[in-house]
Amino acid sequence: MEVFYIDDQPVPFEKGEKILSAALRAGLEIPHFCYHPALSVVATCRMCLVDVTDLGNGRPAPKLMTSCSTDAMPNMRISTKNDKVQEGRELVMEYLLVNHPLDCPICDQSGECTLQDHSYAHGTGHSEMEYNKRVYGWRDIGTFVQLERNRCIHCSRCDRFTREITGTDEFGMFNRGHELTLDTFSDRAMTNHFQGNMADICPVGAITEKEFRFKRRAWKLRKVPSVCTGCSTGCNITIEHDRNEVLRLKPRENQDVNQWWMCDEGRLTYQQMNEREQRLAKPMGRVKGKLLQVTWQQLYDAVADRLEALKPNGEQVVALVDTHSTLEEMFLLRRLLQEVFSSDQVFYSQQDWAQPESEFFIETLITTDKAPNQAGARLLGLKGSQEHDIINVMKSAKLLLVLGNPFINEQSLLDLAGTTELMVHIASRQSEWTDRADAIFPGQNYAEKEGSFLNKQEYWQRFWPALRPSRHVRPEWQILSELLHMGTATPVQQTPQFSQVFQQMTSIEHKLFGNLALEKLGESGISLADLRQQSDTLAQTA
Amino acid sequence: MLEETLVLFRNIRTPGYDGTLDSYRKAGGYQSLPKALTMQSEEVIALVKEAGLRGRGGAGFPTGLKWSFMAKNTGKPSYLVCNADESEPGTCKDRELMLKDPHLFLEGMMIGCYALGCHHGYIYVRGEYFPAIKSLNKALDDCYREGILGPKLLGGDYGLDLTVHTGAGAYICGEESALLDSLEGKRGHPRVKPPFPAVAGFNSCPTSVNNVETLTNVTAVLEMGADAYKNLGSPNNAGTHLVSLSGHVNRPGVYEVAMGVGLRDIIQELGGGVRGGKQLKGVIPGGSSSPVLRADEIDIAYDFDSVGKAGSMMGSSAIMVFDEDTDVVKLLHRISRFYNHESCGQCTPCREGTHWARQLLRDFLQNNGSERKLNRLQRVGRNMGGTTLCALGDAASMPIVSFLKKFPDDFRHYYATAS
Repeated sequence: MEVFYIDDQPVPFEKGEKILSAALRAGLEIPHFCYHPALSVVATCRMCLVDVTDLGNGRPAPKLMTSCSTDAMPNMRISTKNDKVQEGRELVMEYLLVNHPLDCPICDQSGECTLQDHSYAHGTGHSEMEYNKRVYGWRDIGTFVQLERNRCIHCSRCDRFTREITGTDEFGMFNRGHELTLDTFSDRAMTNHFQGNMADICPVGAITEKEFRFKRRAWKLRKVPSVCTGCSTGCNITIEHDRNEVLRLKPRENQDVNQWWMCDEGRLTYQQMNEREQRLAKPMGRVKGKLLQVTWQQLYDAVADRLEALKPNGEQVVALVDTHSTLEEMFLLRRLLQEVFSSDQVFYSQQDWAQPESEFFIETLITTDKAPNQAGARLLGLKGSQEHDIINVMKSAKLLLVLGNPFINEQSLLDLAGTTELMVHIASRQSEWTDRADAIFPGQNYAEKEGSFLNKQEYWQRFWPALRPSRHVRPEWQILSELLHMGTATPVQQTPQFSQVFQQMTSIEHKLFGNLALEKLGESGISLADLRQQSDTLAQTA
Repeated sequence: MLEETLVLFRNIRTPGYDGTLDSYRKAGGYQSLPKALTMQSEEVIALVKEAGLRGRGGAGFPTGLKWSFMAKNTGKPSYLVCNADESEPGTCKDRELMLKDPHLFLEGMMIGCYALGCHHGYIYVRGEYFPAIKSLNKALDDCYREGILGPKLLGGDYGLDLTVHTGAGAYICGEESALLDSLEGKRGHPRVKPPFPAVAGFNSCPTSVNNVETLTNVTAVLEMGADAYKNLGSPNNAGTHLVSLSGHVNRPGVYEVAMGVGLRDIIQELGGGVRGGKQLKGVIPGGSSSPVLRADEIDIAYDFDSVGKAGSMMGSSAIMVFDEDTDVVKLLHRISRFYNHESCGQCTPCREGTHWARQLLRDFLQNNGSERKLNRLQRVGRNMGGTTLCALGDAASMPIVSFLKKFPDDFRHYYATAS
């Protein structure tokens, strides 16, 4: 690869690549507003000006060049720090702030605002503007995002987003010159399902999320990488939380899964993470027909006693699993049934799913399968509801284990659950199953526990705990491990580690997961196809 | 005594000539096109190159060279788009051609299309030019009826269609890439260059954008031959050009002169001197965006290079003359108001700067100026130049910078008087 030099530091570039994109890839910072890697280059904010001291042929460029639109050339030499560039940036910053309201104290973007950052880094700190600032009328553009046009710096990212990414064309530029404004057409509300992304790419507070409005200052938020559970795409997200409350979800770039984007529906799943009313908060057991709060030890003991009395054979044990469960939980549940009850009757709610066919990639992010891990259930060899007659199997069941809240729309299954001798419900939220359960093990939600999912393309991704859970609940993988140990030996006293459970799964299922260590499954995940290819090559070389 | 050199205006200056197809034919029209059709297209381009024809739209870029940049063998159609969006204040030469001798222009356009291998050409006319649009459309109708245009150009085997497209009155759509955006049906915004239109222009196909007068000159080049054409002008500035003379002169109007005649001669002899016998104060030599020249600076030859050497530019050959009684602050305010109104708003320095400059100038007019504001105006003006995507930033910057430099005392006149 050929190189050019930014401040004497060599930067490799591909043919036809622009200075800015090569610099960003190399981890160098050139301030910019209108450039976004997903969008076309318009070179209008003029912030990314650099001084090309040598075009690669020994001659300097006659004036400052916008690095977003200038092709990198072999042996080009660029200065991003000299006085000429500083002056150019100061000038652009001054012009940008001429009509900006500087209402940072009441602006939600404050703290994560590119204009603010660049102003501190490259501005002069004072302005000679002494006239009234431009004021636009207030406009409501729909339910998801808030438009505050006075803050707009006219980078046109939002305009290009609706034109090039969603193809919905709802946004446009109106008027000219200093009266230029970005707005929806004909006072209409936005209709696309990806409006939150416009708030993400807006470098200032002109477009912000209504859900997050006035809730928290951005610098208070702590960020944990995670995976969206809204559907089987599994967009990479960041959980942003403060004081044990999730405030919002933001997409995290992953070119193999969701690029830079996520849908608005996915963003709203943060509400489930904060959900308190439907939460199963404490372990409960049915005593004389009534659900009562018990201790964990009492619950384990009671279940063990009942099982001792029932002695169910393999045919009499059935487990229903939610495809919202993680791979590790499914694995442990399967192992529990196999090793303790010699049963393989683990059923999951099998769904046919589809995603829109579209020339716009972003449309394909929303699938009809609203659970994140159906592919995982299939891969682990659990039984799909479409291929197996669960009702008949359930009729002979003595022990029913329900992980999560599957099949809640299937009344016949719910009815049969009442007839089983022992019904165990392991979940973080109440549902119809809860009313029929004999033992309730309260679990944790995605923001509280660890785990991994397999998305629609068998792309394997993990998530991390963000919130501190209540001390009365345990992660499902822990509950299942404990049940497993209870069945095989003496109840385990020592709390297992998630990494151990993960390691167990990958080593037992090494054909599927290639014996991968937890640390190797990084923030961006890995495609199972790639993983298999890697282990095949490893096996061959060995 | 300076006389007009009639090449493009030879018909218009002929009494009784009405610009119809008949009268154009009678005057010897549509003779250059058949000549061009017997040549290879490369030969036509070479001839234009040899004649040294420079674009009359403002930049003075050699036309033959521009045409030779057209991307070849792309598998896409190529286009010739005529920029008839004449909107630089002071300029009104293309209107004369389109209105009074449309066929002379159309013939040049047809030759250009043939030279570039285009089978469809577009004429993007300024929206306000209703009579010119009417005249062009009538001329095109006549051409189609008489079989000059159409699938068989002049009955030969080359097919050519020409379409008149009217703009909606935006100055920025005279910028070639914004013009192409507008022609495609989008909002007229200057594009990022490269790619230049010669590679990816109209509908991403190779496109050449040429001014009306430039294309009309092509007819003359074909008619006269390269050498005769070159001899008309001054070295490196071939041919004649149409000068739009306006302002405080006795006989304003469009005149055709050879390149390189004296600027003062044009004003004194063709324009009949300053109106009312007053003293000359200054001249804007190339449309409102060009830097102003003081009365003592105009003893120069009027061509691209000489005006450039004098620190201004000839642009579209629009000379605006103002006399000793002119208030240059008012004049500059009017010019700044224009650029403020016409800035497309994409680029930060131009969007914010044009408005800021206008506000500062308004302050002066309200007797609220000060040394500080003068310095600020200078800085705001200077900072718009060379920092934007297209040339509108420069166009807004140059008058401000030059007026402040050439007439600083006039601004002091408007300083706030301490009360």
